[in-house]
Amino acid sequence: MNSLLRRVPSYSIISNNSLRKLCSTDAPDFNMENPFEKDKQQCILCKQNIQVDYKNVRLLSQFQSPYTGRIYGKHITGLCAKQQDKLEKEIVKAQSAGLMATYLKEPVFLQDPELFDVEKPLRPHRF
Amino acid sequence: MIHYELMLLLRVMPKTELKTVLKRTANMIFEKGGIIRKLENLGTRDMPYKTSVHGVVYNKASYFLYEFNVPPTSIDQLLDEYGRDIDIIRRRIYKKIEPEQFECTLDDELKPPPYRKDVLALVEQSKKGDKPKFKYNTGLDYYPFQK
Ligand SMILES: [Zn+2]
Repeated sequence: MNSLLRRVPSYSIISNNSLRKLCSTDAPDFNMENPFEKDKQQCILCKQNIQVDYKNVRLLSQFQSPYTGRIYGKHITGLCAKQQDKLEKEIVKAQSAGLMATYLKEPVFLQDPELFDVEKPLRPHRF
Repeated sequence: MIHYELMLLLRVMPKTELKTVLKRTANMIFEKGGIIRKLENLGTRDMPYKTSVHGVVYNKASYFLYEFNVPPTSIDQLLDEYGRDIDIIRRRIYKKIEPEQFECTLDDELKPPPYRKDVLALVEQSKKGDKPKFKYNTGLDYYPFQK
């Protein structure tokens, strides 16, 4: 049996892949990355590289409801988890320090541009 | 040393009086062996909500920001002393936040649940509680006999 194997000519043992390469030179390279992949999405604070700070009340109040003063959720603001977490902490700090209103958005900030559409949350909410 | 920020809301008063109050509050930091890095006047304005302290209701305040270094053990003493000062309406001490760079994870969060990393971790965790399954060790990926 061993001697039989040895007699098999070496050129007949060609792997399937190399055979394909021999047949055609312009075979598609299947190891390439997905050419149709979309660009990575980034939240507005990461994209503009904004550091959230409790003294920047004008920015913080844009994430606050004008009716109740509550902070909008992640599914409405469209921020990543880390930025949303930081934002909520800074808002609490600002409200505690007497810089920011708690039960309403201050009337001076009511005309500020909207960063997101409140009516179109990413997932439905219970209100 | 840790960088702290002190937010002071002072009662509205004439300039000469304000000067003595600021000097007094700054001296309290120096007495604790601290260093003041910055003193900023953020202006006088209506407060977002009224505050009643020391038996008076205030609607307006002068905002001041101190940036300073002080031993962490003396923060409580500072807050206590400021709380007893009748010219101070409100005081808060926070650590100064350092700007940090991190990767935005929004793209991963917007994927459907079975593709999200945190959901996959949960699935993996739930598998840990499963009962052990008997292995036949036949080297086959199916059961060779009738069941
Ligand atoms: Zn982000």
